[in-house]
Amino acid sequence: MSSTGDLDRRTATAPRSGLSALLRGSRAGVAMLLGFYVLVLLAFTLISPWFFSFKNMMSIGANMSFIGLMSAAQTPLIIAGGLDLSVAAVAGLAGVIVAQLHAAGLPIWPAAAVALLAGGLVGAVNGLFTTRLRLNPLIVTLGVMSVVTGLALVLTGGLTAPLIVAGFNWIGSGEVAGLPVPLLFTVALYVGLGWQLANTPFGRFVYAAGGNPEASRLIGVPVERTLMVLYIFSGVVGAFSGLVLAAMLGASAPDAAGQHLLTVIAAVVLGGTSLFGGRGSVWGTALAVLILGTLDNGLTLMDVSSFWQNVARGIVLLLAVSLDQIRTRALGD
Amino acid sequence: MRRLLEMTGIAKSFGGVPVLTDVSLTLEAGEVLALLGANGAGKSTLVRILSGALQRDGGSIFLDGEPVAFDRPEDAIRAGLRLLPQEISVLPALSVAENIFMGDLPMARGRLLPRVDRTRMRAEARRLLTELGLEVDPDRLVGSLSAPERRIVEIARALAGHARVLVLDEPTAALTESEIRRLFRVIATLRAQSVGIIYISHYLDEVFAVSDSIAVLRDGRNAGRFATREASHEAVVLAMLGVRMEGLYPPVIGSSGEEICSVERLGLRGGQGELSFQIRAGEMLGMFGLIGSGIEMVGRALYGALGPIPGASMRLKGAPYRPIDPRTAQARGIGFVAAERKEEGIIPDLSLRENITLPFLSRYRDGLALSRERQRADVKHWIERLDIRTRSGEQPIRLLSGGNQQKACLARWLIGGMHLLILEEPTRGVDVGARREIYAALRTLVARGLGVLVISADAEEIAGLVDRVLVLARGRLAGEFAHGVTAAQLLDAASPAVGAA
Repeated sequence: MSSTGDLDRRTATAPRSGLSALLRGSRAGVAMLLGFYVLVLLAFTLISPWFFSFKNMMSIGANMSFIGLMSAAQTPLIIAGGLDLSVAAVAGLAGVIVAQLHAAGLPIWPAAAVALLAGGLVGAVNGLFTTRLRLNPLIVTLGVMSVVTGLALVLTGGLTAPLIVAGFNWIGSGEVAGLPVPLLFTVALYVGLGWQLANTPFGRFVYAAGGNPEASRLIGVPVERTLMVLYIFSGVVGAFSGLVLAAMLGASAPDAAGQHLLTVIAAVVLGGTSLFGGRGSVWGTALAVLILGTLDNGLTLMDVSSFWQNVARGIVLLLAVSLDQIRTRALGD
Repeated sequence: MRRLLEMTGIAKSFGGVPVLTDVSLTLEAGEVLALLGANGAGKSTLVRILSGALQRDGGSIFLDGEPVAFDRPEDAIRAGLRLLPQEISVLPALSVAENIFMGDLPMARGRLLPRVDRTRMRAEARRLLTELGLEVDPDRLVGSLSAPERRIVEIARALAGHARVLVLDEPTAALTESEIRRLFRVIATLRAQSVGIIYISHYLDEVFAVSDSIAVLRDGRNAGRFATREASHEAVVLAMLGVRMEGLYPPVIGSSGEEICSVERLGLRGGQGELSFQIRAGEMLGMFGLIGSGIEMVGRALYGALGPIPGASMRLKGAPYRPIDPRTAQARGIGFVAAERKEEGIIPDLSLRENITLPFLSRYRDGLALSRERQRADVKHWIERLDIRTRSGEQPIRLLSGGNQQKACLARWLIGGMHLLILEEPTRGVDVGARREIYAALRTLVARGLGVLVISADAEEIAGLVDRVLVLARGRLAGEFAHGVTAAQLLDAASPAVGAA
């Protein structure tokens, strides 16, 4: 998939015909995902009478917001050649921090601010290790993930704590004009990031840094600074998603988030972002999150056990990635 | 002697561009054949075909009179044909003996579990190394050996695999003179064992010292074969370079102004050499040297790509200049075109427009966003000025030809209004038509008062293109010439005689 996010089709002087143009075009990956999403929607609509309703759609959106937020921040980071495996652990820690500070008497919003700051700090640590010491991000963020998960367990003794604060719970379970608040946050983040990546110098630096870091340095692209910003961003968004989850559950559980790490990475890859960097888009990630969320929801409505849902999710991922590889090879791109 | 290897009518093209046309080559057992040619003459393509790394489009290869076809490098190795690339490839964390037998470890027989027979492996390794004149403990880690010792281990590995034809690609690039003499003794041993050797080098003196015969390629065709004892330097160089193409290089005007940049005591080759020079406004300065001479570091040092250079003192437009990274160099008006275009020059998936405007994106800001209209206008201007062949500025740059990519790498700095432009190998892998256009564009820039530094290992290009040439050898200045110098004189100045201290 080669959605550099900024190829204006209007300027190509040799128009190509329908399907082949779509399959070759830079947005082909996103188009394929959209088609697949529609198929999944159709299938579940036919199978389950409860599936296709506004209420159920919104419930999918709200439930996937937590994953969607983390995946959104992860996408530009991976495009730029980075990776943050600590993001879900940071979400867990943020929930713990806000609950404990609030329990200790700090008002809820300052407590939330501290949690976001902590997330940014973890991101900065990831960034420093990977850009200054040039360590492999897989290893660095794996280590940091373990440290952060451990800290959250130490702080709580592994126990879940209730967190019921009217204003705060609104960010997880409130509604505006019938739309879930967490979904609104998520949509806003995707739109903002998508615009940023396509239209600003920073967005170009993200693709350049991941596409060819050596050439980028020689051209004068601030590769290290770009990655640093993205690691900090991933940490802050990770913490924010942890707050949303805690607000939604009305509780902070140190281990509530960690299990979702692989779903986050799977969504980014399914969305067509190359783990080698340089290619991808947040729109692909958004569709992938929707597909994964819809699968979970539909299978649950069909009474399929959550154990089998794992199997289904894995198969979809393998299928989508293989199809994309076959398409790319067949077109000799 | 008997005919060991014969290649006839070899043809190969990349994307419709012929790289090899009807090339023939023969090698006797026990012969050392030097393969010579300018950059881009097709030497590496030919040996890659021979070693199975590339597939030929036409022609035949015979080994011991039998036709052979190698689909993969493993096939060639099995047939007894080994390519030792310029970069020594050994496994530093394994022992000498393990490195030698990695492909085919001797196994202990008659045991329940298969096990490597270390005793036999050590003894065999010691025997091979002694033949090659290297006395090291077979259990030593290869990581602790010197460069020529590693090279010998590599050769021993080839012999352990029963290699009968060895292709050595620039084997002396990283070696000192005494190490080169040691390698030559090893080659003499191999020759006595009836191994056929194809020896690729730019160093004429080395070639004359070590080879029995010389085959020359030029523009992908046979350009002469000589018996080394009867050949002269001049005849070989003429065959390599041919008659200079008319009109490839624009006329030199030569009206340089004030000094733009001065460099004092720039350390090269890990402190083995030191270099001082100046570049003037309106001057095109060339820097020529063979692989390993240190020229590949000069432009990068000046551009900040090597970080701060201790000991060196530089001035730019009269003011002190201490480059820390490429961004500081750009801010002072220096642009840089790297030698390895694919690895260091382009972001393949980004469009032509994005590749060109990347260093100066902040100039295209419109509020928060970038103005694509202004980018398009500038890029369109340079596409027309440099005649970049593309469907539009929005094509991913990877779809363009090498020559057009190179023009884009140049255009990048023309938008910026630079004072000094540094180009490494400006036309490597670029077709003749695009070369002419790039040369003309450089001349126009110089006429407008830019300083240009061209760093190239292509003697003909340097001789034809620039106003003044500095020749480097082993990290030091080995000569300075005005325009009018011939490629042969440059090659001569750049090749320190083997054996001279």
